[in-house]
Amino acid sequence: MDIESILKDIEQLPPFPTVVTQAMALLDSPDTSAMDVVKVVQYDQAITANVLKVCNSAYFGLPRKVGSLREAVIRLGNQQLKEIILTGTVVKYYKNAMDGYALSKHDLWKHAISTAIISRLVSKKFKGVDESSVFTAGLLHDVGKTILDGVVDEYFSQMFALVGEKGYSFTEAEQEVLGVDHAEVGARMGELWGFPKEIVRAIRYHHAPQEGADSDPTTQAVYLANILCLMMGIGVGRQGLHVRGRDEVLKQHGMNNTDLQIIMAGFLDEYEKVQDIIMLG
Amino acid sequence: MPSGSNGSLCAPNGKNNHRGDDLNIIVDISDIKVSNNPDVTLVTYSLGSCIGLAIYDPEAKVGGMLHYMLPDSSISKEKSQANPAMFADTGIPALFKACYKLGAQKQRMVIKVAGGAQLMDESGFFNIGKRNYAALRKMFWRNKVMITAEDVGGMVNRTIRLHIGTGNLNMKVSGQEERIL
Repeated sequence: MDIESILKDIEQLPPFPTVVTQAMALLDSPDTSAMDVVKVVQYDQAITANVLKVCNSAYFGLPRKVGSLREAVIRLGNQQLKEIILTGTVVKYYKNAMDGYALSKHDLWKHAISTAIISRLVSKKFKGVDESSVFTAGLLHDVGKTILDGVVDEYFSQMFALVGEKGYSFTEAEQEVLGVDHAEVGARMGELWGFPKEIVRAIRYHHAPQEGADSDPTTQAVYLANILCLMMGIGVGRQGLHVRGRDEVLKQHGMNNTDLQIIMAGFLDEYEKVQDIIMLG
Repeated sequence: MPSGSNGSLCAPNGKNNHRGDDLNIIVDISDIKVSNNPDVTLVTYSLGSCIGLAIYDPEAKVGGMLHYMLPDSSISKEKSQANPAMFADTGIPALFKACYKLGAQKQRMVIKVAGGAQLMDESGFFNIGKRNYAALRKMFWRNKVMITAEDVGGMVNRTIRLHIGTGNLNMKVSGQEERIL
C-alpha cells in the first residue's frame, strides 16, 4: 500500500474552520469577554445553528432553551462552550456511512460522542487528566477513519486474514497492510488543524497508550472510553472487538472489572440525553 | 434507548397496529420488548459484550427480547430498580414475566442467546461479555431452563431479529451474511 497517497489525502483536507480555531483561542484567554466569542462565531451560520442545537440538548443541561448565540455565550462557562462549539463543528466530518469499516450513517458520530462522554466519566476516576482536552480528544479519536475508509475497503481481505488468523488487532492490521493506522492518520489531521498537543497525543495513542513514566492519563482515559464504547456495541462495525485490552491501564489507576461496569451503567443515563446531538450526524 | 421499566415492559402487543407488513420494534441497550403481533419483528442492533436473549412460545406465538449490558444488579440497586433490563439477574425474570402476561408458558419456550463478545484480553480484566453469559447460564441452570440455540463469545458484534409470526431468529455478524440461529 502506498502510504504517500494516504498522507496526501490528509494534506488535501479543507482547513479546520478558522472561526472555530479563533474562538478556541479566545476561550482559552482569561481576558476574553463573551461578546468577543460571539463576534467571531456569528458569521458562520452552519456552525451557529449547530452550536445552538448542541447547547439545547439535555446533555448540556441548561434549564431553559437558548435562542441565540449571545444568550448561549452568556449562560455557559468557557470550558462547556468550547466543547459545544467543537461538537457542533466536527459533526460534519462524521456524516457519511463507511463501507470499509462497515459503519452506517450516524454510527461513527454516535461512537465519537459516546466516547467523549465516557472519557469524561473515566477522567473522574483517573488522576492527572487534562480536563480541557479529554472530551475533545474523545470526540476526535477516530476521525482518521474517515480518511482511511476507502483503503480499508480495498484491502479488507488482507487485513481480515491477519485479524482472523494471526491474532492481530484491527489497528495492527491497518499498520501492517496499509502502512499506517487510523489513529496516526487522525493525529496528523489534528496537527494539520492546529489542535493542542495533548489532544493530538490522545488521538495518536488511543489504541496503545504509552506505559510507565511516559503514560498520559488523558490518553488512557480516551483509550478506556473507546473500548468500553465498543463493548457496548456503539459504532463497532467490522473492527468488532479486535482491540487490545490493556490491564496495566486499569492497574495503574487501581481499577477493577466492577469499576468498568459502574462506568457503563452511568453512561447509559448520559447516552439518553445526547440522542438529539446524535441526530445531527 | 434504555427506557424505564414501565415504558419498556408496556411493549406494543400491536393488535391495534396491524398493518399487514413487517413492523420493526427496536430493543435498545438495556431494554425489553415483547409482542404477540405476527407482523412484528423485534430487533436489537450491535451486541458487543452485551447479551441478546430471545424467547418464543410457538403455540401462543408470543415472543420477547432482552438486551442486557451487565451481569449483576448488585453494583447498583438504584439503577436496577429504574431499569431492570440493564442486568441479567433482573432483566431475565422481567422478560419471562412480560411474555407470560401475553399468554406464553415456560415449558414451551424456545430460547436463543447471542452476544457476550470479548476483546483481546488475556488477563480477563475486561471480561464483561463472559460474565454476562455466565450470569445467564447460572440463572437458567437454577431454573431448569434449556437453551435451544446460541452464538456467543468471539470478538464480533451481532444483530438479531426475532420474527413473531414464525419464531425465526435471524442473526447478522458485521461484515458477514445474515443467517438463522
